[in-house]
Amino acid sequence: MIPDRIIEAGTLTRDGERAAVEVRLPWYRALPGSCISEVAFSVDGVAATPESLRWTMNGRTFRLDELTDEVDEWWFPADSVLVEGDVNVAAGEQEHRVDVELKLFIPYIVTAHGVLRIEEHDTKTMPATASTTAKASQP
Amino acid sequence: MTDTLGTPIQGVTLYSFTRPFHAREYDLEGLIRKTAVEGFGPGLEIIGFSSFRGFPDLDDAYVDWFKDLVSEVDLVPTSLAINGDWALRPDRLMNQDELITYMTRQIEAAARLGFPIARVQISLTPDSMEALLPVAERYGVTLALEVHAHQHGRHELILALRDRYERLGSPLLGFTADWGATVSGFAPSLLEAYRRRGASEELLQAVTDLWNQTYAEGPPLTEKAHGDRLGAFIGLAHRYGRPDLGIDFAINGTGLFGPAPVDTWREIAPWIRHCHGKFFGIDESGEEPSVPVRELIALLVDIGYTGAISSEYEGWHWNYWQSPFDIIRGEQAVQRSAASDAGSRMVTTSDEACHQLRQHLRQPVRG
Repeated sequence: MIPDRIIEAGTLTRDGERAAVEVRLPWYRALPGSCISEVAFSVDGVAATPESLRWTMNGRTFRLDELTDEVDEWWFPADSVLVEGDVNVAAGEQEHRVDVELKLFIPYIVTAHGVLRIEEHDTKTMPATASTTAKASQP
Repeated sequence: MTDTLGTPIQGVTLYSFTRPFHAREYDLEGLIRKTAVEGFGPGLEIIGFSSFRGFPDLDDAYVDWFKDLVSEVDLVPTSLAINGDWALRPDRLMNQDELITYMTRQIEAAARLGFPIARVQISLTPDSMEALLPVAERYGVTLALEVHAHQHGRHELILALRDRYERLGSPLLGFTADWGATVSGFAPSLLEAYRRRGASEELLQAVTDLWNQTYAEGPPLTEKAHGDRLGAFIGLAHRYGRPDLGIDFAINGTGLFGPAPVDTWREIAPWIRHCHGKFFGIDESGEEPSVPVRELIALLVDIGYTGAISSEYEGWHWNYWQSPFDIIRGEQAVQRSAASDAGSRMVTTSDEACHQLRQHLRQPVRG
């Protein structure tokens, strides 16, 4: 569902060994943290390790394994989350290729094969700006 | 067939406008005002988890703001779509008691927001619906379980619910009839979307043929038969070298385009409390090419249906090149024309809709 919207254009930031990008929900309704199954983030083909990834939603920052039990913070469809991880992005005005893959559980659709899990991927190119303590843009 | 012809209430679900909402072109207030100005009402349906941040925990000031806005623009809240998220923790499914607690909070939210109906889903068993009846009574909210493809009016799970409703005899338990259960063709706009994703004409023809075959064979009567069909769509994508499209074919081919005949709705007609006027597009001639809208309206008029129809445009998943507002306008024109052809009309004014909906939900179901 609307995977072309996952990566917010122009939101790539870099801060030393870290990079971050704003990400949109590829689904029509809010999902809790527990439904965020897998996240992958890479810049110019270099992937951040899963352990280095941080997920900032509603002003709270999580490691991916902390999302598994999170049923109080929900990702609202009009909001961005901030995904950041260990990727060294060179300074300069050149364009970078950003890849984000999301695997999300859909909590009301359970079939004989288990809980429906959607897999969506987006690629966009954009320059990187120096981070000024990036924050996800949501109220 | 009843003595009195039905006069369905026109309306829309904001789900139809997911794409502009998600793109932040319209917020909730903007969509409600747009709905009113365009005359897409008077009926207004909303999905709780899509439109209300923090749902179902809403503070009083927010609830007041919402009700004042709806009242100001003269729309009539019909159904709040709520979700049976029994896999909220995907590694540990809720049992039915936990699910009932989860649903109760949402039913309360529906009442507070002024919706007389809560759309619930097939994850609720007949026992759970019976257990929720006192909750429905406490809040005065009708629970309308959505009959959605791949299920349909003659599916084993739906008939089990119907039989329980009949025994309980409460006007507060019924169904939302989703027209996606009774589709007559694979949506051309989705074929166009696959074409734009590089699918060959041979593959598109094969998908169309497979769907037409399921239509000829009739809808699955059991969950097992449904599973076999899912596998057939996935296998087709593999055979044509596009395994990446397999899940998409399967979900859409079985879960969006249900192949049941329109008259299957008669099996549950007395318990239809609400309708989702599900559709996927409007063609150059102004008609819906894959959903038999005219036949569905004729049936609702014939059975004396006086509830609301929420036009539910679902082509937005793949159709990024047309305006959902134009498409809703086109589909509602077809509905009105079809009601007229059936010797009746759609209710399009708020006062009449309000009065009629109250009567519709109060009357006991006809067993």
